[in-house]
Amino acid sequence: MSMHDDTVSLSLQDICKQFGPVKAVDGVNLDIRQDEFFALLGPSGSGKTTLLRIIAGLEHPTSGRVMVGGQDVTYMPPYHRRIGMVFQNFLLFPHKTVAENIVFPLRMQNIAKSQRDERLSWAIHLLRLEGLEARYPHELSGGQQQRVSLARGLISRPALLLLDEPLANLDRELRAEMEIEIRRYQKELKIPFIYVTHNQEEALTMSDRIAVMRNGVFEQVGHRTEVYQKPATAFVAGFVGQSNQMEGKVGKVNGGLLSFTWKGTKLVAPHTGDMKAGDPVRFMIKHEDVQVEIASKKSAVPANHNHIPGKLRDIIFKGQTVNYLIDLEGGMEIVASGSPRDMKLSAGDLVFALWPQGTGASFKL
Amino acid sequence: MKPDSTWRAIITPFVLLTGPGTIFISITLLVPLLTVVMFSFWRTESYELYADWNLDNYRVLFGEAAYRTFLIRSAVSAAVTSLICLILAWPVAYYIARHGGRYRLLLVLLLAAPFFTGVILRIAALQGILGPGGLINMTLGLAGFAPIKLLMYTQFAATIGHIYLYIPFMVTAIYLSLVNFDFALLDTAKINGAGPFRAFAEVTWPLNWIGTSIGTVLVFIPCLASTITPRFLGGPNATSFGMSLSQQFGETGTWALGSAMSVVMFIFSFLVIAIMQLTIDLRRSGFTGVGK
Repeated sequence: MSMHDDTVSLSLQDICKQFGPVKAVDGVNLDIRQDEFFALLGPSGSGKTTLLRIIAGLEHPTSGRVMVGGQDVTYMPPYHRRIGMVFQNFLLFPHKTVAENIVFPLRMQNIAKSQRDERLSWAIHLLRLEGLEARYPHELSGGQQQRVSLARGLISRPALLLLDEPLANLDRELRAEMEIEIRRYQKELKIPFIYVTHNQEEALTMSDRIAVMRNGVFEQVGHRTEVYQKPATAFVAGFVGQSNQMEGKVGKVNGGLLSFTWKGTKLVAPHTGDMKAGDPVRFMIKHEDVQVEIASKKSAVPANHNHIPGKLRDIIFKGQTVNYLIDLEGGMEIVASGSPRDMKLSAGDLVFALWPQGTGASFKL
Repeated sequence: MKPDSTWRAIITPFVLLTGPGTIFISITLLVPLLTVVMFSFWRTESYELYADWNLDNYRVLFGEAAYRTFLIRSAVSAAVTSLICLILAWPVAYYIARHGGRYRLLLVLLLAAPFFTGVILRIAALQGILGPGGLINMTLGLAGFAPIKLLMYTQFAATIGHIYLYIPFMVTAIYLSLVNFDFALLDTAKINGAGPFRAFAEVTWPLNWIGTSIGTVLVFIPCLASTITPRFLGGPNATSFGMSLSQQFGETGTWALGSAMSVVMFIFSFLVIAIMQLTIDLRRSGFTGVGK
């Protein structure tokens, strides 16, 4: 069992949490390794914050066990757990200076002043807060406040750092910068970070592994590329990345592939589940997996590709990428995204949306 | 815009908005106060005031031991009352703010319930409980026990009366502070290693100290000047500064001495407020945008 594995830092065993009739967390199992950056990704109300509060000790699970470093801490109060936590709204102590906020955990552990000062200068240096020690939180910018909050979470070298949407209140540019920074701290300190977010980009950028959560259960737990490229459920496919969705009835099943008809076009999709002819199926393909070709070059459609004719309605230029919005007959739309470099199309062109058979994912409805 | 009209744009609303209040306060507070200060340097003889300026009233006040005793007694009584109110009020205010939920407002309004009747009636009712023929001692007597002397016309009984009268102010002041307190900061303190007691001492108490000190002043000052409560409940050994003061304006008719007592009380109250003020460091109060 995982509790004897000393690379496992946190182990959640059958965690359930019920608030009245609502099951906020419904049977979660998870092992997190010592050197891992782990993201809990899910929409609001999925139970991810509740799960984080259970790990922190701010809530007790209705059933199940929480193990930290092999020790059962399920009913241990938060102040004995040696876990750091960073909140979305920073929650710095408004009546304490930056330095006092940061050393707070050490003071609570009754660590000697000299050692506290040494750790303080380490944290100040790590988070680039030099010169701000004597300021009060309200005299800092949002980004500085969040760095102080991180310094406070890290100064005691906790067994685990929990981050609850820490970047949600920051502006976009700062967020991108902090994403990289936070990942760097984790890699340098080798403390496991558990990062709660509803932002899939954040989860993909920062973490090693991702758990996608919905209605209190994990829909999928896996490496970030695996979650992105091989979504286990239709929900994951829809939530992580941006996908086109097509529904139909399975026509033929042929080993790893199945075919179905959508709006009069026969499409071939990968077959991962246990579907048989006649089953309703939902097929999902990421925007960037769809290519666009001018219709006159139909001969250019390679073999073993799905292709749907349509009319290019608009081109959305996003800088690094370009989105092609393709109107299909019957009022449907497909989005393809690509690099702006090979942009030779213009709105109004008759085009084909095409992709290799076997890309995308299909799910039984 | 010309500078002249800018000036007018500032001064007109200032006068219109603050003018009526200023006039009212000047007439009802400042004028009587200054009159009292003036009277304190005059002389009374056979219920008449004479404007011959002197310091005799203050000489009497500081010379005669009785007045000193009254002042010290009132100050100690006010301090004890404030402290007990503080200890009793904190848990109540905390409970309402933290666990009151949707009944919060109702619970706070209940604090105003005693004000539905007058002070004299409330104190008289208390006399009916604590006094010799009162509920407690009568019941004890009927059951064959000796009456509790401590409850009958003592400083102790007067202090019970004071606590009863003034505790709503303390609870309200602390409650108003706590409703603006972010209880999530307590979670933060706990995660960072603070047990419940340390979390309270490090976070809850300092961040609610302004409200607490306002509550303390709101209890201390009226308690210091209290007249009716010691008269009804306190008996002969609980004569307070306020009682003696009101006698100067009533039975004895020595307005000048009474005025001097008022001035002493005013200065004393002001000193208490100044001391409380010293304990407040705005930068350390959690207030933002002030005290830079």
